[in-house]
Amino acid sequence: MDRKYKIEFEEANVQESVAYILVSEFDLKPNVLKAEISADGSGIMIVSLVGDDAKLDTAVDRLRQEGFVVNEMVKHISRDEALCWNCGACISICPVGTFSFDEKTWEVLLDNSKCISCGACLNACSVHALDLHI
Amino acid sequence: MIPDRVLNILIRIFFPITYINHEIFILNRQVIWMSKTYEQINERIRSGKAVVYTAEEVIDLVRSKGAEKAAEEVDVVTTGTFGAMCSSGAFVNFGHASPPIRMTDIRLNEVVVDGGLAAVDTYIGATATAQGKTGGYGGAHVIEDLIAHKRIHLQATGPGTDCYVRRDIDTWITIDDINDAFLFNPRNCYQNYSIATNTSSRTIYTYMGKLLPKMKNASYSSAGQLSPLLNDPHLATIGMGTRIFFGGGEGYVTWPGTQYKTNVEEVNGVPVAGARTLALIGDMKQMDPKYVRGLDITGYGVSMAVGVGVPIPILNKDIMERCAISDDMIFADMVDYSQPTDRPPMARYSYSQLRSGRVEYQGKTIRTSALSSYHGAREIANKLKDWIEHGEFLLNQPVMSFPKDIKLNKLQERRC
Repeated sequence: MDRKYKIEFEEANVQESVAYILVSEFDLKPNVLKAEISADGSGIMIVSLVGDDAKLDTAVDRLRQEGFVVNEMVKHISRDEALCWNCGACISICPVGTFSFDEKTWEVLLDNSKCISCGACLNACSVHALDLHI
Repeated sequence: MIPDRVLNILIRIFFPITYINHEIFILNRQVIWMSKTYEQINERIRSGKAVVYTAEEVIDLVRSKGAEKAAEEVDVVTTGTFGAMCSSGAFVNFGHASPPIRMTDIRLNEVVVDGGLAAVDTYIGATATAQGKTGGYGGAHVIEDLIAHKRIHLQATGPGTDCYVRRDIDTWITIDDINDAFLFNPRNCYQNYSIATNTSSRTIYTYMGKLLPKMKNASYSSAGQLSPLLNDPHLATIGMGTRIFFGGGEGYVTWPGTQYKTNVEEVNGVPVAGARTLALIGDMKQMDPKYVRGLDITGYGVSMAVGVGVPIPILNKDIMERCAISDDMIFADMVDYSQPTDRPPMARYSYSQLRSGRVEYQGKTIRTSALSSYHGAREIANKLKDWIEHGEFLLNQPVMSFPKDIKLNKLQERRC
């Protein structure tokens, strides 16, 4: 099971290799889902990590020591349940199957653990029920 | 030619008891045998004895007992659909202010609504938007907010005439203080619809939703086995005056919907593409905003999701058989929405395949999405069932049946 983190960096550490630290020092398997660098040299990276839980926690501490701001992403995609009308337009848009029909009730289910924060679903929702928090 | 109603009177006079427990009547010059009559069904509804199934529940019953036995047992089958229906809107009468104004330029929450009716009448088109906007908040949202009893900002101007001296007004209204508000939707309940995909290499934004490049996804819109016009495909029971569930209240079928056509290929007795449609009317003051929703479809514009449920009286075995249609027997063709004009069918899928979440096309898997809420459609069919079971909703025999042979015209582009 992977865990997803948002890593914020500044001009001072933009050239550090986060992935190298994670692989060589902690034997973790990183998968960069999104990375953005602004003109001022700061930016964010969203990375999914697979590996030993204890090592994950120490790795996060290590990155923080390096000056990165690291936050685990738990509910990065949210849905306003009062707005959702269970049409299912989001289902086929998602590349990783975050949304699916409950085949008994035909309500649209949301599995946050699958979401890779790409945001493709946001403008597919006709009632603007979805929000991405990164 | 002798009209249907005269033939029906003659039948009643000469054959008072036509057949034990059976009646016949003439509709559209066709003889309809009824093992039950509307009146008998309504009598059972009034006494709380009516046997009502949803179009989904009845499938297994007909499979296990056969249509003949099921037709004897079941009085009514309820259907439902809850999807985007752009050809929707509402007539509103604001009431006169003092001094009065003849409104010709009217805005409701900034949305431009029709100023071409009488002084304080308007039609709010579901797809209308604010000046200069193509999407966002539109007519459908105004309608939803009205039904939700929210305050709506009314701004209007007029020419100022001898009888309507005033030239502008700026106020706030609610559905409770305006005179009339009724939905009148020229085209709802499309009988089936094509499946949309995109073969091009860029994402396209259509009224069939967001379509990813290279056929990554496809969208479909019918409620399939629950859809009203797929359960009574030749409109044996649905016509002008049919009482329905409409947006949470009671409504009526008023007319064949716009773009109604009948010359569509059928499989298992139902069309495989858009065919018949219905024009519907209903009092907004009775409605529930849960079943009338404004939609903002990215790249296309505003539309409205409308919940509609149509009861089908089980008058005979044939009607029962049609109501038992299931998703695996209903098909639709997939077409390429990246093509601006000609969209030949690429493949044909059943609604059970579509509802599984993926279909196969030339060895490739395409993810599927619905654009109408099956959850909502089922809820509507169940709600209508509940109303009928509790004697709160009686069936209306149509006063006019709809055309059997209609083709669509193309728009002619002429120089004069």
